[in-house]
Amino acid sequence: MTVHHHPPDELLAMFAAGTLDLGQHIGVATHLVGCPKCRAVVRAMEHVGGAMLTGLPPTAMSDGALEAMERRLDETSRTSIPERRRGPAFRDVPGLPDFLNSYPDSPWRWIAPKVHLRPIRLPEPSATRVFLLKSSPGTRMIEHTHTGLEMTCVLSGSFVHAGGHFGPGDFDFGDGSVDHDVRINSTEDCICLVAMQGDLKLNGMIGRLLQPLIRM
Amino acid sequence: MLSETPDNETSDAARWARLIEAVAVRRDREAFAALFRHFAPRIKTFMKRSGASEQLADELAQEALFAVWSKASLFDPGSAGAAAWIFTIARNLRIDALRRQKRTPTSDTSETELEFQRDEGPLPDAGVAASEIEARVRDALSALPDEQMRVIELSFFHETAHAEIAKMLDIPLGTVKSRLRLAMARLRSLLDDFS
Repeated sequence: MTVHHHPPDELLAMFAAGTLDLGQHIGVATHLVGCPKCRAVVRAMEHVGGAMLTGLPPTAMSDGALEAMERRLDETSRTSIPERRRGPAFRDVPGLPDFLNSYPDSPWRWIAPKVHLRPIRLPEPSATRVFLLKSSPGTRMIEHTHTGLEMTCVLSGSFVHAGGHFGPGDFDFGDGSVDHDVRINSTEDCICLVAMQGDLKLNGMIGRLLQPLIRM
Repeated sequence: MLSETPDNETSDAARWARLIEAVAVRRDREAFAALFRHFAPRIKTFMKRSGASEQLADELAQEALFAVWSKASLFDPGSAGAAAWIFTIARNLRIDALRRQKRTPTSDTSETELEFQRDEGPLPDAGVAASEIEARVRDALSALPDEQMRVIELSFFHETAHAEIAKMLDIPLGTVKSRLRLAMARLRSLLDDFS
């Protein structure tokens, strides 16, 4: 498996700087699970962050800050590194970042013929909604428009649109203006993680009927 | 600092790495104090620029250095990325602090660190060792021209608007945008070359 479609470098820089909202962070983190090249870009960006930090002018610490810290170290004889907590959520979906395992799980929901959706509920309010989308082979994705940025990360299966073929690990990034005719072209289900800003609007009559079902 | 010669950069980085190692291995208080004196006041500036009050910025800088003490054994001295490592600690604390403002006081705010642990998935060709990535990153960064590095730093890490960067560097706005694009593309191609 080779990753062909990567997030724009700006997103990787913002990821490293810690300025993405949590929903977008999850979108990028999911791509990083399968992409060593982008992991290297993020790491490089963290080095730029280190250079930034070292280059900042110092602000004097409060009086006695170091002494207070030293007393605190005396009291903390052995500091244990907290264990990584992993919950059971989303364990059945390979390719997701581990930290999603501690989120509340949710079941797949039918939203259209051959299309299921599974919301990922974030522990904090975010302008970006995150969900898994599972579509059967041969499905055309429901025509939709959205008002903000959309990240799609392929976990299994594949789809194709005018922008190319997207298989496992690939990252598709679009704004509301992009109108893709998306078709699932794998012989197995295509499961994607989608991080979407703004409102999703389904087009056409069927879309309008389904609209209430897709609210998360 | 970016404006320093590469030699100073390397020796500074090596010195910070040695100090962190001394803290990890010997729980060396003097090494810790040296790290505290250099990094705490700069992390405080970082926090203030992100909107933290004087007092909160001071507390967060102390928390960051306490984390350096507690987690020193997790730092890989071979990576020579001491400043990068401390930056990630400060960044995560900043995110935690911003979330505390948004959330109810009872909610869990210790997730940030986990969110940045990069999971290396069980995918066939993803088996690149972390140390290999580090070496690649180091080589790429040292080959990236300073002026390109500077514009990445300003844009994403100081969150400086492009117009502001143009004024600071005394270059046209269009040049800021093209230099930024060029810098990112160059960095990626350098990283690819070393793979």
